[in-house]
Amino acid sequence: MGSLALSAIRKSFGAVDVLKGVDLDVAAGEFVVFVGPSGCGKSTLLRIIAGLDEQSAGDVRIDGRLMNGVPPARRGIAMVFQSYALYPHLTVAKNMSLALSQEGVAAADIRRRVETASALLRLDALLDRRPAELSGGQRQRVAIGRAIVRQPSLFLFDEPLSNLDAALRVGTRIEIAKLHRQLGATMVYVTHDQVEAMTLADRIVVMHGGVVEQVGRPLELYARPANLFVAGFIGSPTMNFIGGDAAARASAATIGVRPEHLVVAREGAWTGAVSHAERLGADTMLYVDVPNVDVLGAGMLTTRILGDIDYDVGDRVGLTPQEGKVYRFDGGGNSIAA
Amino acid sequence: MDQIDKLAADVPLLPAATRDAAPARTRRWHIAVFLAPALLVYTALMIVPLADTLRLSLFRSVEHAPVFVGLDNFRVLLTDPRWSLHFWAAFRHNLYFFAFHILLQNPVGIALAALLSLPRLRGQAFYRTAFFLPTMLSFVIVGFTWKLILSPLWGVAPALLGSVGLRGWFHPWLGQEATALTTLALISVWQYVGIPMMLIYAAMLAIPGELIEAAELDGITGFAQFRKIKLPLIWPTVGICSILTFVGNFNAFDLIYTINGANAGPNFATDLLGTFLFRTFFGNQLQLGDPNMGATIATMMFLIILAGVAAYLFGIQTRMRRYAL
Ligand SMILES: Nc1ncnc2c1ncn2[C@@H]1O[C@H](COP(=O)(O)OP(=O)(O)O)[C@@H](O)[C@H]1O
Ligand SMILES: [Mg+2]
Repeated sequence: MGSLALSAIRKSFGAVDVLKGVDLDVAAGEFVVFVGPSGCGKSTLLRIIAGLDEQSAGDVRIDGRLMNGVPPARRGIAMVFQSYALYPHLTVAKNMSLALSQEGVAAADIRRRVETASALLRLDALLDRRPAELSGGQRQRVAIGRAIVRQPSLFLFDEPLSNLDAALRVGTRIEIAKLHRQLGATMVYVTHDQVEAMTLADRIVVMHGGVVEQVGRPLELYARPANLFVAGFIGSPTMNFIGGDAAARASAATIGVRPEHLVVAREGAWTGAVSHAERLGADTMLYVDVPNVDVLGAGMLTTRILGDIDYDVGDRVGLTPQEGKVYRFDGGGNSIAA
Repeated sequence: MDQIDKLAADVPLLPAATRDAAPARTRRWHIAVFLAPALLVYTALMIVPLADTLRLSLFRSVEHAPVFVGLDNFRVLLTDPRWSLHFWAAFRHNLYFFAFHILLQNPVGIALAALLSLPRLRGQAFYRTAFFLPTMLSFVIVGFTWKLILSPLWGVAPALLGSVGLRGWFHPWLGQEATALTTLALISVWQYVGIPMMLIYAAMLAIPGELIEAAELDGITGFAQFRKIKLPLIWPTVGICSILTFVGNFNAFDLIYTINGANAGPNFATDLLGTFLFRTFFGNQLQLGDPNMGATIATMMFLIILAGVAAYLFGIQTRMRRYAL
C-alpha cells in the first residue's frame, strides 16, 4: 500500500521550466527524502504528487493507479505543510476530525481515530485548544495528527521542521522516524537540510535545478556520489574540491576529499597555515590556507579532526588524504569510477 | 520556567524605562503639537455641532426667544400624536430598511466576494469594478437613473418587461405605498453592495493559500469549504460591514430625497428619520422649520445609533473571534 511512481514529470510556470523530467519509483512503506537547495523544485514536485498542482507532462501513479487529474482528497494521501496550515477557528480535535466527518465516517470511529493519533503524538491535553494557543512544536504535532487520522497510504511532508528551533527539530525528527516505523506507511519528505535527509531517509533523492541528480541510500550517496553536486551537497562540512596539478596527477579534472578524511600532521601532501579554527569539543574544524594547491571555492582546505586539538591560527600543518578516500571527477563533473 | 520568562521579559525593559523618563517630559509637547490640528478640526466640525444640537433640543422658541424646557421636546416627540405618529413611523421604516439591507446586502456581498475569489475566474478585475461602480456614483445620479428606469410614464422598465411579454408585471413600484420603501431599499442595496463585497473579498484574500490547500487535501471543497473554512474566518469582517450599514441606514436621507422628495411619498411611506429630520428642521412646503424639534430628532437619531453601535461593540464583537491567520 502506498507505492508511488513518477514518470517523466515536467512542470513549467510560463516560460520557466521548474521540473525537467523526473522519474522515480517509491516502494510501499519506504521513507524517501527529496533534498536539494532552495528553489530546485522539491515543493513543486511534492505538490504535483499531492494533486495541488497539475504537471505539464508526465504521469503520477499511486498504488499503480494513474492519478493525473484526480483531486487531492481522492489520492489516498495526507500532507503536512511547512506553515502547518491548521484551521485557526477549530480546536485541535476538530482540526484532526474535519476530514473524517466530511467523508462521513461514523462519530464513534472518528473519536477512536482521533484518540489513537493524539495518544501517539501526546496531544491529549491539547484537544480543546485552538491553534493560536499552541507552541510551534505542538502545532506541528497537530498537523501530523491531522494527517495520521486519515490513515493515508502515502504521507507527504514539505519541510515540516523548518519553522522549529534547533532542539525541537531534532526531537521532532526522531518522532517522525518513530512514526514511520509504527505506521509502516510510505512517506515522502522534502527538506533542504541534508542532515534531516541523511537521518530520516531509506532513500534520498538529490535534486538540483529541476532534475534528479542521484537517488540512493544515505551512505551510498556519501560514499559514492554520482557527481560534483551530490558530493558537495551531502556531508557537512562540505567536501574539499581541488583542481589543477593535484587533480591531473590523479588523472581527473577535479578531485574531492571530505574534511573528515584529511589527516593532519606536521608534514603532509599539502601544507599551509591554519587561518581559522572552530573547536566544538567533540571535534575540531581547521581551515587551512594552502597557497600551492588549487582549491576550488573558498580557496581553503577544511579538515575535521575528532576531539579537541589545540591548534592556533597561523600554525603550519600538513594535510594528507586517507588512502582510498579521494573522489575523482571528470571535466563534466561526473564521478570517475575507482 | 515561568519566572525565567518573566525575568527575560522584564530585564531589558527596566533600564529603557528609566532612561526614557527624562526625555519624556519634553517629548510630550510633540504629542500635543501633532494632535492639535486633528483635534481642532474634529472639535470644530464634530464636537461643537453635536454639543450645540444637544443644547438646542433642550430649548423651545417662544415668541422668537429661546426658552429652556428641559426634556419636554422629547416628551412631545415620543408621545404627542402630532409628532409621535411620524416619529414612530419613520423609526419603523428605518428598522425595515436596515433589516432589508442586513438580510440582502451582506449575503449578496459575501456571495460576490466568494465568486470573485475563485482562483479560476476570468475577468475578475472587470466584475470587481462593475460591482463597485455604483458605490462611487453620486446618489443624485443613482436616484435619477432609477427614476428614469422605473417611471411608469417615461421609464424603460415597462418597455423592457413588455419586450419579453411581461408588461403586465410592471407596477409603478416607487409610487405605491406598499412597495415604495422596498424598492428604495433594493436600490440602496444595489448601490452599496460594493462595500461589503470589497471588504469581504479582502478578508478572503487574506486567508493563506496553504490553509485552503489543506482543506482541499481533507476533501473539503466547493461549498463545504466556503461554509466550514472561509465563512468562519470572515465573520468579523461581516460584523464590521453590518455596523457600517447600520450607521449608514439610520443616517439615510439622500436617496429618498432625490427619488421621492422631502415628503418621502407616497403618503410618507418612505419616510425615514433622516427625511423626517430634514422636514422638521428646515421646513417643507407648508410646514415651518422648527430647529428645536429638529435638534430633538437629531439627538434621538444620535442616541439610536449610539445604542446600536454600543450593543454591537459590547454584545457581538467581544464574542466574535478574529483568528490569527
Ligand atoms: N506558482 C508558481 N509560479 C511561478 N513560479 C513558481 C511557482 N511555484 C514555484 N515557482 C518557481 O519554481 C521554482 C521551484 O520552486 P519550489 O518547488 O517551491 O522550490 P523548493 O521547494 O525546492 O525550494 C522556484 O524557482 C520558484 O520560483
Ligand atoms: Mg519548498
